[in-house]
Amino acid sequence: MSASAPLRSALGRPAPSARRALRGALVLGLGLSACGDPPKDAAPADDGEEETGEPVERGPAPEVTPGAPALRRLTQSQYENALRDMFAGELYVPTNLEPDNDVEGLLSVGASTTSVSAYGVELYEAAALTVAEQVLASPEAKAALLSCTPTGPDDSTCAAEVLGALARRAWRRPVSAAEVGRLAELVAQIGAAEGSFDAGMVYGVAAVLQSPHFLYRREHGEGTGAVRPVTSVELASRLSFLLWNSIPDEELLAVAESGALLDEAVLEEQARRLLAHDNARRGLRNLFDEVFHLYNLPGINKDPLVFLNADPELGASAREETLLGVEAMVFDDDGDFRDLLTTERAFVDRRLAALYGVAAATPEGFGEVYLPAELGRRGLLGQASFLMLQSHATSSSATKRGVFVRRTLLCQEIPAPPADVDTSIPEADATSPTLRERLQTHLSDPYCASCHQLTDPIGLGFENFDGIGKWRLTENGATIDASGDLDGVAFANAWQMAEVLHDSPLLGPCFTRHVYRYGVGRVENGDELALIGWLNEGFAGTGYSFRELLVDTVLSPGFRNVGELQ
Amino acid sequence: MSTSNRWIERFSSLFAPPARGALRRPVAPSPALGRMLAPPPLSASRRGVLRGALGGAAVTVGLPWLELFVGPTARAETTFPVRFGVWNWGNGVRPEQWRPVGEGSGLSWTLSEELAPLINVKEKLAVVTGMAVKVPNYIPHWSGAGGLLTGLDALGDDEDWTVQGPTIDHIVADQIGGATIYKSIEIGLDTNEIFSFTGPNARAPGETDPFTLYERIFGATFREPGEGGIVDPRLGYRRSALDAVMQDVHALQRELGAADRVRLEAHLDGVRALEQRLARLQEDPPDLEACTRPVAPEVSYPDIDGRVQISARAQAMHEVLAMALACDQTRVFNFMLSRPVANLMFPGSPDGHHNLTHDEPSPQPEVHEITVQIITELAYFLERLDSIPEGDGTLLDHAAILCCSEHGEARTHAITDMPIVVAGSAGGRLVNDVHYRSYTDENVGKVVLSLLRAMGVSTPSWGDGDTFTEDGLSAIEV
Repeated sequence: MSASAPLRSALGRPAPSARRALRGALVLGLGLSACGDPPKDAAPADDGEEETGEPVERGPAPEVTPGAPALRRLTQSQYENALRDMFAGELYVPTNLEPDNDVEGLLSVGASTTSVSAYGVELYEAAALTVAEQVLASPEAKAALLSCTPTGPDDSTCAAEVLGALARRAWRRPVSAAEVGRLAELVAQIGAAEGSFDAGMVYGVAAVLQSPHFLYRREHGEGTGAVRPVTSVELASRLSFLLWNSIPDEELLAVAESGALLDEAVLEEQARRLLAHDNARRGLRNLFDEVFHLYNLPGINKDPLVFLNADPELGASAREETLLGVEAMVFDDDGDFRDLLTTERAFVDRRLAALYGVAAATPEGFGEVYLPAELGRRGLLGQASFLMLQSHATSSSATKRGVFVRRTLLCQEIPAPPADVDTSIPEADATSPTLRERLQTHLSDPYCASCHQLTDPIGLGFENFDGIGKWRLTENGATIDASGDLDGVAFANAWQMAEVLHDSPLLGPCFTRHVYRYGVGRVENGDELALIGWLNEGFAGTGYSFRELLVDTVLSPGFRNVGELQ
Repeated sequence: MSTSNRWIERFSSLFAPPARGALRRPVAPSPALGRMLAPPPLSASRRGVLRGALGGAAVTVGLPWLELFVGPTARAETTFPVRFGVWNWGNGVRPEQWRPVGEGSGLSWTLSEELAPLINVKEKLAVVTGMAVKVPNYIPHWSGAGGLLTGLDALGDDEDWTVQGPTIDHIVADQIGGATIYKSIEIGLDTNEIFSFTGPNARAPGETDPFTLYERIFGATFREPGEGGIVDPRLGYRRSALDAVMQDVHALQRELGAADRVRLEAHLDGVRALEQRLARLQEDPPDLEACTRPVAPEVSYPDIDGRVQISARAQAMHEVLAMALACDQTRVFNFMLSRPVANLMFPGSPDGHHNLTHDEPSPQPEVHEITVQIITELAYFLERLDSIPEGDGTLLDHAAILCCSEHGEARTHAITDMPIVVAGSAGGRLVNDVHYRSYTDENVGKVVLSLLRAMGVSTPSWGDGDTFTEDGLSAIEV
């Protein structure tokens, strides 16, 4: 299928409304990237039941020719998780590593294009040695690692047994005799020179951890042709990195090595097993950390002279609140994903409770509280994480908040501001006390307005929350007007906007797209866009169960196949 | 023996095993281990040609690094290594307060308000104003940075962009960085996302922690000149482990598509560089008189009232960097005080830097004040380099440092009237104490080409399309 095919074939049946057809045309590359036009949707619109009133039986998955496979570098969090899963006992994992790279909003996509710098190689070496020395020095970790008792400092047989098992786990695949032999020889030589088997083993373990077989994910499939199945062991990696953000466990690896993972029923069984495991919470947290860029919160720069509630830990607390909320919604409730926008339940520590004006549920850590309507705050966009991240160091930002809603929640493209333009905003004075007046230039100058009309009216809806998310009714003595409309649907304030977004037909497809990109580590092609539309039908059909979306994604042809090697 | 001859002997020993230092190594306990301790291969990884790096032109960087010590213009002071650096900050300047008064050399020009902190090194600067980055200014901040430092426009949008080729620091490092323990050193004061790339999507991240920077260069493996001592056998073990890693990279490369092979090649370059560094650590340290282990920085510099300790961190990092250069641990650096678009809260400032450039009404006194603070940090560093004696001159005399930002005036995202300071004369190859002003928006790439040539990079041109130039800026060339 080409990228210019009409939407109807992309979704397997005619689009039921002209509006949606227009949107579909925009989706498939006919959209205008300049502002002044309707925002370009980068994911197909929700095709759920709202408009026809009846759920529509989903057809078979569209045939797809996925994009070319790319080698994915482990992200920092995958690196850390993998080491923790590989070794027993307490482990200090260095965090000073090659930085991740955000591409198209996701580190997982960036991981498919970046390499490792010279300094990065140095950092990986230092980290590998630090970890290896710890493992050999810790009685618990060492006992778990050494499956045999060395007969001497240069016992290459025992070294081969130990490192063969470790490399299989770290590299997530069967290891050849030549590969093991090389590692064992290294251990034996250094062991002999140092008169210590353990001393040699440090370098053997470090070599396993520095290997590109560990640091990169090869998910390239086999055979020739435009659509090639990912191999059984590669699929195990894909699956566990998607759901656990880490390497496969022994059961998954063993199933994969038998080739059975290519069987759809086995794959589904394993996907559900992984989702039922505690590690899935870690995986889900990482997914939302990436999508919402929550990793930027710890250490976020906020001026305490402007924001009295800003303390150095507030960002980290805000991140945790959002992640706990997602965890609860997906794992404890398995609820309607869209309720993330409107939930009146919040998980706060004392710091956030003070910011929100509620009583903390617990003196230590985080506890669940209910946010009464009169607080004006609910859902994801009432959380400090969003309100802080999409603000400046000393003020809120209607533009940043609006851009987040468009780009991250609705997957619409907002062009970057043009160069060579005077972007200064007037200072507050008697005639323009609130941000709404000060931003008039954005909306009255046609040149600015072409883009800012897409972002600022949404962002101004959050003006009752300052740059760290504290509620306010006035700015510079004037009452804040937080009303607006989102593509024709009016709202009086952020509380109401939450409902508008909850019901937006773009919300479901957008998160389906996030999950797909996160899972395959690439931006979708035209074929895959159709698949994303199909996956979204399933998402809607399950009442927006995020868990089912994950399983559906795993079973889809886009996840189990790759395109031609290029 | 003259200094230059000692240098030649020291490094030619790398070519001819057994090296002098071999005698100090522990006796190899087994023939196999002996291989681990053998002298390093030299420059196995150095790419002879950077294809496409400079606007599609093939650029030969094959000149031996020794050129820069004993070239045809050799004189006493050029027996010291020549260093190159990029020292950059984000969000431009206030052009009317940046521009020096008067033009020409010596007494005919004086420093401006924003350049005033550099008064003690004025005689060692070339200031260039009025020149422009000749790329389409599509991506605010990144077009300017890419056009200036790679000669090519950045590609993408503000959310997702990359460069089309290496930044000048890595082009120079390929030329003069091969003989030192570190081919180049990258530092970011507040973020590792510095504007330093070895190629598209291949950022060279900066070290952000002063103490980690110190430990990296002057930690356990560092030996002062003449310190001698037994070479740590672990250096050899680490090299052996890297041998295994290299074999894995080669094996994996064979299974990949073209783009991934390139990515792994970059990784492999890094492994080779590390292996070579370990090998150099097994050699005798270079002996430069001014080299001493610097005072260690604080272990941490926590933010105060939500603000980064900019000056304390910068000074600590500059001290380590100055000694890294004095001890010839590296000859190339990229120091980024703040990144393009940086919204750092400077001391006394009411808002983040980037916000102020856009939100503060002209003439933007707060932005001006921040620029002065930035140049004050630059002055500290340059004065420090100028305090390190080398022969008849100082380390600064043997360096060329391109000090720059990605915008002229950030308020309008202008990439005309770029702020450019070249510090040091690269051992007499560049003119100092001069202000050159262009009235015709000349291509700033001319300055870059002059610098490349001063560093011995043999290239017929720089840039592509509108940034293309075959001429350097004669006003700064000797």
